[in-house]
Amino acid sequence: MSDTILRRVRPEQFRELILVVVTLGLLAFFATQIPGYFDPRSVNRLTVGLAIPLVVAVGQVLVVLTRNIDLSVSSIVGMVAYVVGTLLTRSEALSAPLAVLLSILLGAALGAVNGLIVAYGRVPAVIATLGTLALYRVVLVEFSGARTVTTADLPDWLNDVPSATLLAVGGYDLRLVVGVALLTVILGQFALRSLPFGRRLYAIGSNPAAARTAGLPVERDVFTAFALSGALSGLAGFLFLVRFGNITVTAAQGLELQVVAAVVVGGVNIFGGSGSMIGALMGVLLIEILQQSLLRWAGISEFARDAILGLLILLAVTADAVILGRLREAWVRVRRRDQERAQAATAGVGGATHGA
Amino acid sequence: MKRRRFIAGAMCAGLLAANVGAGVLAQEATPAASGAAVEATTGQDVKMMLLPKFLGILPFDQANQGAQEAAAELGNPTAFDFVGPTAENSVAGQIEFMTNAPTAGYDVVMLSNNSGDQIVPSAVGAQEAGTKVVTWDSPIPNGEGESVFVAQVDFTETGKVMADMALSILGEDGGQFAILSASPDAANQNAWIAAMEDALEDPAYANLELLETVYGDDQSEKSYEQAQALISKHPDMELIMAPTSVGIVSAAQALQAEGLCDEIKVSGLGVPAEMLEYTQNGCAPEFALWSFVDLGYLTYYVSYMLATGDLQGVEGETFMAGRLGEYTITQDPTRPDVEALRVLMGPFTVYNIDNVEEAAG
Amino acid sequence: MGRELWRRLRSWEGLLAILLLVVLAFNVTRVPNFLTVTNQINLFQLGIEKAIVVLVMAFVIISGEIDLSVASMMGLSAAVVAALFELGVPVPLAILVALGVGAGFGLINGFFVARVGLSSLAVTLAGYVGFRGLARLLVQDRSVGGFPAWFTDLGQRGLIGPVTLSILLFAILAVVAAVALHASGFGRLAYEVGNSAPAARFSGVPVARVKIAIFTLSGLVSALAGVLMAARLGAVRASTAEGFELDIITVVLLGGVSIFGGVGTMLGVLLSTYLVLNLRNGLVIAGVTGNTQTGIIGLLLILSVLAPNLWERGRAGLRRRRPEPSLRAPPVAPAGSMPSRAATE
Repeated sequence: MSDTILRRVRPEQFRELILVVVTLGLLAFFATQIPGYFDPRSVNRLTVGLAIPLVVAVGQVLVVLTRNIDLSVSSIVGMVAYVVGTLLTRSEALSAPLAVLLSILLGAALGAVNGLIVAYGRVPAVIATLGTLALYRVVLVEFSGARTVTTADLPDWLNDVPSATLLAVGGYDLRLVVGVALLTVILGQFALRSLPFGRRLYAIGSNPAAARTAGLPVERDVFTAFALSGALSGLAGFLFLVRFGNITVTAAQGLELQVVAAVVVGGVNIFGGSGSMIGALMGVLLIEILQQSLLRWAGISEFARDAILGLLILLAVTADAVILGRLREAWVRVRRRDQERAQAATAGVGGATHGA
Repeated sequence: MKRRRFIAGAMCAGLLAANVGAGVLAQEATPAASGAAVEATTGQDVKMMLLPKFLGILPFDQANQGAQEAAAELGNPTAFDFVGPTAENSVAGQIEFMTNAPTAGYDVVMLSNNSGDQIVPSAVGAQEAGTKVVTWDSPIPNGEGESVFVAQVDFTETGKVMADMALSILGEDGGQFAILSASPDAANQNAWIAAMEDALEDPAYANLELLETVYGDDQSEKSYEQAQALISKHPDMELIMAPTSVGIVSAAQALQAEGLCDEIKVSGLGVPAEMLEYTQNGCAPEFALWSFVDLGYLTYYVSYMLATGDLQGVEGETFMAGRLGEYTITQDPTRPDVEALRVLMGPFTVYNIDNVEEAAG
Repeated sequence: MGRELWRRLRSWEGLLAILLLVVLAFNVTRVPNFLTVTNQINLFQLGIEKAIVVLVMAFVIISGEIDLSVASMMGLSAAVVAALFELGVPVPLAILVALGVGAGFGLINGFFVARVGLSSLAVTLAGYVGFRGLARLLVQDRSVGGFPAWFTDLGQRGLIGPVTLSILLFAILAVVAAVALHASGFGRLAYEVGNSAPAARFSGVPVARVKIAIFTLSGLVSALAGVLMAARLGAVRASTAEGFELDIITVVLLGGVSIFGGVGTMLGVLLSTYLVLNLRNGLVIAGVTGNTQTGIIGLLLILSVLAPNLWERGRAGLRRRRPEPSLRAPPVAPAGSMPSRAATE
C-alpha cells in the first residue's frame, strides 16, 4: 500500500475495499472448484438470492447504527409474505403497485410497534425485538389456520416478477428484484451520507447521551429507524412472496441471524455509530456466496457443509480484521513519520515541505 | 350394536386410576384377538391429545379434521386437545408435551413423532403412568414406549411407489435423479429413502441413477435453494424426487421459475391442493400421497378403543374403524428388528393430470 | 421500614418475585397435580440443560459479550459422546473428550474475541453454524442410542431420592455461580470488563484473560449440558438442542442482565429461570400450544421492562410541575443499565 494513499484516507475507509478483496478471493477459489461457476445461469441464481437478505440488511443497518438491533425482521418478512399472499389469492382487484404498497405499510406498522416499544417505552432493543420476533410469528400461526399460500392461487403477474429483467448482457441478467434491492442500498447510502436524518443516526449511535444533550430528536429518529427497518422487511416480504410463491407459516424463519451476520461481517459496528450500506452489501454478498457456493460444491458432503461454512465465516471476519489492523498500523506509522518530518522541517528551513 | 368389553391388564388398571370417567364402563370379558372385528364402545370419556410434529401446515390440520370427525362419531364427551410445539422447537417441545401428559391426565397421546428415539424415555414414562402412546405418520423408530403405530402406508411400499414414479417419468431408458428430503433427522423420510434405495436394487430399475440426497429441512426457502443447487451441480439430472410436501412444491417452483420444467421433472409426496398447478403445467407429472384426513380419523379410532379397553393392543386384534371399515393390528414388518405393532391404513393415491384437479377440490 | 420494603419490591428482582408468585398461584390453583413430586421434578428436568447454560451465559453477557454458539456446542458435545461410543470408546472417556472439546472451542471463541479483537457476535455466530456442522458431520443422519444403562439412568432417574444428577449439578453450579459473581474477585472483574473494557484495561484488569476464561467456561458448561441432555434423552441426533440459544439468552435478559454488560445479579437470573420453567410447565399441562407459549414468554419479556418504565414515566409526568433533578432515565438506546433498574438506584 503506497504511502500517498495512506496519507489521503483513513484505513476505515478501506473497509469495503478489503471486503471486496476477500470476496473476490472467495470467488476465484470457488471458480476453480465448481465447473461453470460463472455461467450466466449460476450467476443469475446467485444475484436473485441476494435480493431478500439485502433489503432486510439495509433496514438493519439503520437500526444498528443507532446502537439498537432488530431481531424481529424474519417474522415481519414471513408475516407480510403470508398476509399479502393471502389477500392476493382472495381479491383479484389488488393490483401490483397496491400489493407492494400494502407490503411496505404492513411492515412499517410492525416496525413502528418495535419503534414505539424501544424509543418511547425505553425497552432495550434486544428484549423488545426478541419478544416481537416470537409474537409476530405467533400471530401469523394463529391467523393462518394452517393454510399455505400456493402459487396456483396467486395472480399470474406475480409469478412473472422473479424473471422480469431490467437489463441483460450476454445472458447475465439484472433482474427486477435485484434492481429493487440495489436501489434500496443506494437510497440508504444516500440517506446516511447526505440527509440530516442519516447523519443523526451516526451521532445517536456514537453517544446517545451526548446526542440528547445536543438536542437531537433521539426518540423520533430511533422510532423512524425501526419503522423503516419494518418497511424494508415488508418489501422483502413481498419479494419473498414472488420468489417462493408457496408460503407456509415458517416462512423466513432464521433470516434474522443471517442478516445480522451479514451486517456484522460488513463492518457495521454492532454497538452503533459506524458502518455503511456498501459494507452491508458486501457482507450480504460474502455470506450468500459462501452459502450458495458450498451448496454447489460437489466435493463437499451434505453433512460437512455447515462445518465448513462456520470456519469460512470465521476466516473471512478474521481476514478482514487482520488486514484492517495492518493498514491501521501502517497509517499510524506514515502519519507519525510525516509529523516528525514536518517538525524537522519547521525546525530547520522554516516550513517548505508539505504532504501532498 | 355395541359390545362392551372387560378391561384387563395392568396398563388398563393404571388407566382407570388415571381416568375415573372410564371406570363407569359396564364390562364383560372377551378374549382379545378372538377373530371377529371389535366395534368401539361409544360415549366413553377419554382425554386425548393429538400431537403433530408442529402446528401450522396443511397435512397436520387435515389429520385434525379427521380426528374431529371420529370424535363426533364416537361421542366422546371430552374434546381432544390439538396441541403442538413450534416448528423450530419441535423435538424439545414434543418431549415436553409427552412428559407432562400423565400429569395433565391424558389417557392417550396421538403422536406424529419428530423426535426419533429421543422421545423414548418420556413415552415409556407416560406408558408407566398409564397414558397410552399411539403414533401416526411417523413412528418411534425402536418401538419403545409405543402402543401401536397407525401407518399411513407401508413404508416399504413407499420406496417402491417412488421408484415406480421415477421410472414412469424417466422412461425405460432411465436417467439421473436426486432426492430432496426434509431434515436429516426425519425418521419417516429416512425410512422411505432407505426403502427406495432397496427398491432400486431390482434390475427393473437398473437405469435409474440416484445422484445424491440433500436436505431442505422442510423450509420452503431452503428447499428451493437446494433444488437450484442440484440443478447447477448436476447438468444431466432429469428428476428431483422429494418425499416431503414442503420440498416437492419448492422444487417445482424453482424449476418453474427458471423455465426448466421441460428438462427436469419433480415427483415425490405432495398435497394435491398445493401441487395442482405444477401437475397441470408438466413440472410434476406424477406424485403420490395418502389421505391425512383418513389417517387422523383412523388414529382417533385406534387410540379411543385402546383407552376404553375395546382393544388390548396386541397382535391379531381386528376392529371396525367407522367409515374406513375393518383393520387388524399386526407386527410391523417394516421394523423387523424391534417389537412394534402396526395398523396399516393405505392405500397410496398416485396423482397425475387425470385426477389431481378433483383431489385438490 | 415500609419504604425499605417498597424499595426492594421495586427492584428488578422484586418484580420477578411478584411475577413468579402470580404464576405459582395460577399453577397451584389451576394446574392439576402441579404440586406432586413427579411434576416438580419434571418441571426442572425438561429445561435443566438450558438452566445450566443460563448460569454461564449470565457471566458472558455481564462481561459485555454474547455467545450464540452454546446450543450448537451442546449438540456437538452430545455428538462427540455418541460418535466415540459408536467407535467403542468407553462412555466415561467419551464424556471427558466431549468436555475437552467444549472447553477447547470455548477457548478458541475467547481467543478470537479477546486477542484478535473480533465482535463476539460474529465469532460465536461462526461457532453457531460451525459447531452444529461438526455435530452433523459426526452423527450425520443417524440417531445414536443404546448407551449403557448407568449413563441413561444418570440422566433419567433420581440420584438422591427423586432428584436427578442434572438437577443436583444445577443446584451446585447455581451456588458456585452466585458466589463467583458476587463474592469473588473474578465476579468483580467480570462486571468491570462489562462496564467498560477500556477503563478496566487502564485500571490494570487483564481484560483479555477474563474474557477468554469466561468463553472457555461457556464452552465447557455447554458441553456438560450437552452430555446431560444425551443421558436424559437416551439418544443423540445432530439436531440435539437446536434453537436453544435464544431461549437461554431470553431467560438471562429477563433476569435483569443488561445486554450491554456490567449489570445483573445471579438472584435475578435464577428467579427468571424458575419463572420460565413454571410458566412452561403450567401452560403445557393446561394444553396450550407451543406457539402460544412462545408468544406469552415474548410478551412477558417486553412487558416486564415496558410496564415499570411507563409507570415510572407516568409518575415523572405528574411531578414535572415541580423542578425535577433532570433526566434520571437512561438514554433511549441504553448505553448501560436496564432502565427500571437505573430508576431505582
